[in-house]
Amino acid sequence: MAEPITAADLEAYLDEALPVETMSRIEQALRDEPKLAEELASINSRRDAGIHSVGEIWRRHRLSCPSREQLGSLLLGVVEADLAEYIRFHLEVSGCRTCRANLDDLKSHQRDEPAAVDKRRKKYFQSSAGHLRKR
Amino acid sequence: MAHAAPSDQLLVARIRDGEPDAWNELIARFEGRLLAFVEGRLGRRSAGEDVVQETFLGFLTSLPNFQDSRPLESYLFSIAAHKLTDHLRREGRRPTLPLATNNSGADWEPPAGGRTVSSAMRSGERRGMEEAALVQALAEQLARLRSRNEWKKMACLELLFVRRWANRDVATKLEMSEQQVANFKFEFIARLRTLVRKQGLSEDVFPELHEKA
Repeated sequence: MAEPITAADLEAYLDEALPVETMSRIEQALRDEPKLAEELASINSRRDAGIHSVGEIWRRHRLSCPSREQLGSLLLGVVEADLAEYIRFHLEVSGCRTCRANLDDLKSHQRDEPAAVDKRRKKYFQSSAGHLRKR
Repeated sequence: MAHAAPSDQLLVARIRDGEPDAWNELIARFEGRLLAFVEGRLGRRSAGEDVVQETFLGFLTSLPNFQDSRPLESYLFSIAAHKLTDHLRREGRRPTLPLATNNSGADWEPPAGGRTVSSAMRSGERRGMEEAALVQALAEQLARLRSRNEWKKMACLELLFVRRWANRDVATKLEMSEQQVANFKFEFIARLRTLVRKQGLSEDVFPELHEKA
């Protein structure tokens, strides 16, 4: 049976901060369960009113996220055992989506064709450089 | 992660000066991780690239309001999350939020401890100050744990405060006693309250600081 959806999950859902599979599960539940949708709206109102949740602020500022260098070292297998265990916990149990994205990106460096990456970056640059000006 | 890296601050300063090389560098540094962030959710590379493109445009548009003290990566990810949400709504995948039935925002009360916030609708500036104070207090405590390699304690606090798991579930997951979890929580909250008070702010805006361990 799937784990119940908590208020903390809904807060994280609003910030697109949960693993992809959990986000999809919550979306489905919001369609099926009007009460859950009301709870989500209530959380949203609270946030609009400026009430802080420690968890939201913690997550938003990525206060316990490992650095990208540490994630890279994890891939290379050169992180001390205790820290490696914590990073895996952070990725898998906490489900930090931003750190997962960083890890996936680091893995893709070994996979993606440099020419395709170059093409992509040029596209981003050309579509935005017109907005670049001295401010 | 709470403070901006000097190299990022320098890069943003060069972008503010309109330097194309700096803009190219920012794209090269961050596009891969942003694409990984959005692509998993969209399931399609081309749609993911569109959202990343919108993210970079959004960054340049919002640059006059960007505070240099803020970590650049978190800022870019927050723009990407907004652009992704918009995209999913347009596709009809992300449900539109209904209006809250009983809570209009202004009359919302925090759920913990029976305390109320005297002025729920506070100015953005005030909110920013409160958030900065809490971030500083949290960062200080977490830095202490890092410097002592107390990773299990860090994991415990993350489950308690970020995931808001019950003490019992945290204890089971991390193979600790419930008492140990309650002690960590009590100690952490007590120190947070002291640090928040030290900055001259009311603890009332953080209802969780009054929860029982």
